[in-house]
Amino acid sequence: MTGFFEQYIDIIPDFSSFQESLQSPLPTHIRINRLKTEPAALIRSLEEKGVRLRRASQRYDTLCLAPPLSFPGNLLEYYLGYIHPQALTSSVAALVLSPEEDCSLLDMCAAPGGKTSHCAEIMNNTGLIVSNDLYPSRHVALGHTLARLGVLNAVITAYQAQEFPLKHRFDFVLADVPCSCEGNFRKTGTTGQYRGIRGKELLPDLQKKILFRGFDLLKEKGRMLYSTCTYNPRENESVVNRLLNERDAELFPIDVDLDAEPGTTEWNHEIYDKRLKRTARFYPHRVDSVGFFMAGIGRRS
Amino acid sequence: MLRSKKSWFLIANTAYIFSVSQLKVSQAGLRAFQRVGDFIKPTTRFIQTFGRFATRAKVHIDMPQLQALLEGKKIHVDMSLDNGYVILAIGEDRVLGLGLYIDHMVSSQLPRKEIRDAMLWDG
Repeated sequence: MTGFFEQYIDIIPDFSSFQESLQSPLPTHIRINRLKTEPAALIRSLEEKGVRLRRASQRYDTLCLAPPLSFPGNLLEYYLGYIHPQALTSSVAALVLSPEEDCSLLDMCAAPGGKTSHCAEIMNNTGLIVSNDLYPSRHVALGHTLARLGVLNAVITAYQAQEFPLKHRFDFVLADVPCSCEGNFRKTGTTGQYRGIRGKELLPDLQKKILFRGFDLLKEKGRMLYSTCTYNPRENESVVNRLLNERDAELFPIDVDLDAEPGTTEWNHEIYDKRLKRTARFYPHRVDSVGFFMAGIGRRS
Repeated sequence: MLRSKKSWFLIANTAYIFSVSQLKVSQAGLRAFQRVGDFIKPTTRFIQTFGRFATRAKVHIDMPQLQALLEGKKIHVDMSLDNGYVILAIGEDRVLGLGLYIDHMVSSQLPRKEIRDAMLWDG
């Protein structure tokens, strides 16, 4: 099955290590929820239970590796909303976007709510988050996550992300778009469980529409993060490249203390804008987590 | 605080609320209270979020007492309280949710489905 990824041999560095990493089990990462507890207190109380957490990032003390835990959802601390199990690369998204207190934020594809709740934590429950997801069936999980983690500054809407009403502009927009989920291979053992082959072919067009709508919903000095959990440049750099060509957009560097690779500027006979080097690719042999892509976007001043 | 027919929702106070009022919103903020019969009852999530600020009607329990409550048993509490809802906390003021105190006996109002057996382990 990992032969599927050979199409990326020219863009993934140290490809044999990458292939090996796909066979290793995915470590358990948790995010400590500052809305309800402090990292030091939480780490101490878990140590008393024999659960020793390790910091996953020097810069962010809420991101931890929980080596002996298979199911952090079985901890009382989960019920209390002190922790949220979340892949390390996924939990970096909100930190990269870094929304400010008292701002407005739109999470375009929000369920199951990990990133919305993380944004709420960074905003210290101030301002307003519009947490959007098309499918009402996914609102149950979304609402549950937000309530469990003590989020007070979010409303939930059910618009198609690509048709979100243009009535209000936001300071921050998060577009963690539907994707082929290839980066989740270590978790699922499949190269994209999200949709069938036909659906996957339609993804870049959907992603482009969501990205463009998100950009159009941004205030003049607003910032946007586009992210996927796939390696496919057609869903990543190619989509962002179209935005750079058709809108007055700029990319800001992705500043994290994880081992990220710059975005690619060429793939499959397609040449992309050089600025796409400012995007970030996260690979499981460099960051022991799921594969991820991020592009930080703003309006060109 | 926003109100529906049977519930009250708490949402952070911000001017943005008015600017997004044209959107179709399916949920807003945290469900804080709901009407149960003639009573207005705080939700577990509201109590978990704000219970740490309470100075009265808070009952500290240990893990065996929590297990007993979740088995449907009542526990004896040697406190002088008015009959009604009390806040249940465990360990270092970790607020679990609500109990119902009647004449020195407390019964559980905790959401049993959300507290798995595996959680009832303290090392």
